[in-house]
Amino acid sequence: MPRAKFFGWIALLVSLVLGGLFFYYAFYLTGFRDLNLTALSDYSYYALILPIALVALVILGTGFWIGWTILTIKVAPPMPEIVEKKDFAKVKAFLLCLVTLSLSALFIYGIYLRSYWALAVPAAAVTLVVLGMIFWVGVAIITTRATLPEDKKS
Amino acid sequence: MRVLFLCYRGNPYCGGQGIYLYHLTRELARLGVEIDVLVGPPYPFPMEEWADVHRLENLNLWFIRTRHIPPEKLKRVWSPWNFVDYFLTRFHVFSEMETFSFRAFSALRRLLKERHYDLIHDVQCLGWGLLPMKGFGIPIVTTVHHPLTKDREADLGVDKTFWEYVTTVLFYPMNMQRIVINHLDRVITSSQEGVIELNRAFGLPARNISVVYNGMDVELFRNTGERREENALLFVGNTEDHKKGLRYLLEAMTMLPGEINLTIVDEGPPARLTAWELVQRYGMEKRVVFTGKVSSERLVHLYSTKTVLVMSSLYEGFGLPAAEAMACGTPVVVTTAGALPEVVGDEGAGILVPPMDPRGLAEGIMKIIRDKRGRKKMGVLGRRRTEANFAWPVAAANTLAVYEDVIRSRGRSV
Repeated sequence: MPRAKFFGWIALLVSLVLGGLFFYYAFYLTGFRDLNLTALSDYSYYALILPIALVALVILGTGFWIGWTILTIKVAPPMPEIVEKKDFAKVKAFLLCLVTLSLSALFIYGIYLRSYWALAVPAAAVTLVVLGMIFWVGVAIITTRATLPEDKKS
Repeated sequence: MRVLFLCYRGNPYCGGQGIYLYHLTRELARLGVEIDVLVGPPYPFPMEEWADVHRLENLNLWFIRTRHIPPEKLKRVWSPWNFVDYFLTRFHVFSEMETFSFRAFSALRRLLKERHYDLIHDVQCLGWGLLPMKGFGIPIVTTVHHPLTKDREADLGVDKTFWEYVTTVLFYPMNMQRIVINHLDRVITSSQEGVIELNRAFGLPARNISVVYNGMDVELFRNTGERREENALLFVGNTEDHKKGLRYLLEAMTMLPGEINLTIVDEGPPARLTAWELVQRYGMEKRVVFTGKVSSERLVHLYSTKTVLVMSSLYEGFGLPAAEAMACGTPVVVTTAGALPEVVGDEGAGILVPPMDPRGLAEGIMKIIRDKRGRKKMGVLGRRRTEANFAWPVAAANTLAVYEDVIRSRGRSV
């Protein structure tokens, strides 16, 4: 097996195993229940929640910023007919702002309540996206032909 | 004086920064400046004669879907900065500038072990990595021809769907550039209009900006002495870029006599359809010709043989085609948008008309076409203006003056 394909398989397996382990320990083992984290000391709780909150709020903030930019941008298109072709972009941008604001509020409320979900959901989202990226590179390496097939070599 | 240049894309065929890097470093070296370059791919033409070139890696992944990334690039995806690039580009973020700046920071740390730099000159990268570089205590200057806000506005102007809007907003690293540019020692831009635009886009105070006109190869762009055609208009520029205002030029064509034709230096159909659709809409199929991409020599030939160059732009950070045409002794009709009035000047090298005014364009064109003697005079004045203001040696001398000013303002000797 070529070296690159070997690493492709490794990437695929590692991401699947880690993703499975994360799901098992973070959700399955807890019985999908909202555990209360009040048993943790304040310092332990904030040591966990602060980095997660930072990442989650940056992502939600980026979503809000995108929506806000689309909502507020003033562009005089050089071709007026383009305006007619546009879909309901401003409405969707408004919805994006609304959704990101609502999620942010919900997240902050969850932190206040010391809800397990406030910790687990953003951690799951980030972990699964990163593992998904690694998985997708693995698939791409395995399914890409690294060299020309025999009949194409001349 | 030893200067380190940072340029995230160095190839001259890959945008203006490659041309800028190549010519400016060569002329600065002639003025006695020692040059080192940290450059990303596509890499520049050989510059080793006058500069110490260090090539930095970048996989250029932003336009490639994961399934289509070539195997040789996929193998290299696992290194930290390549993975960051891969990760961010999957979300339509143009991360090349960010990752280049961090790679440059690491490379600079290594270089500083064996040499000293008086100044770092960034060529419109403005990545986060420039901020930790300030920790080395070396003054940092950047060149920004026009802020990316202009490109983003143009893209948002033609986006049709919500998803296109989202990807456009994600693509341009506006926040990064806004923060980084305000922490640098000096910003060089190519026109007074650029000063206003940088202030508007990034809140950059005018005292932190120096104007150095763009350079151009006035030896290459010189009239060939060939016979000039009558009634022949020339348009040079990216027809997909709505800032170029091609629509207004075509509308002006409908007001001009039928014998006047237009040559567009850009790809036409089937590769690029935006301009062709406009040509069809205005019924100009028989009067408009697309040349496709042309060599520099062919471009000089076109400038030298067409009657007049027209720029119907809605905005220009500089307006190089106008300067090139003037260098070839060709009169120009341009709009007053952006830096074009500064390029054409008020000596009489061309006619200025308001942007988005097809009638004004048509009148300006007719004025030049009817006045054969006036055309010659305009050509002479244009050539004189480009030699005096836009030659690379002039640009290099003015850039060096900025370097010296920045170093002096840091309380160091030059």
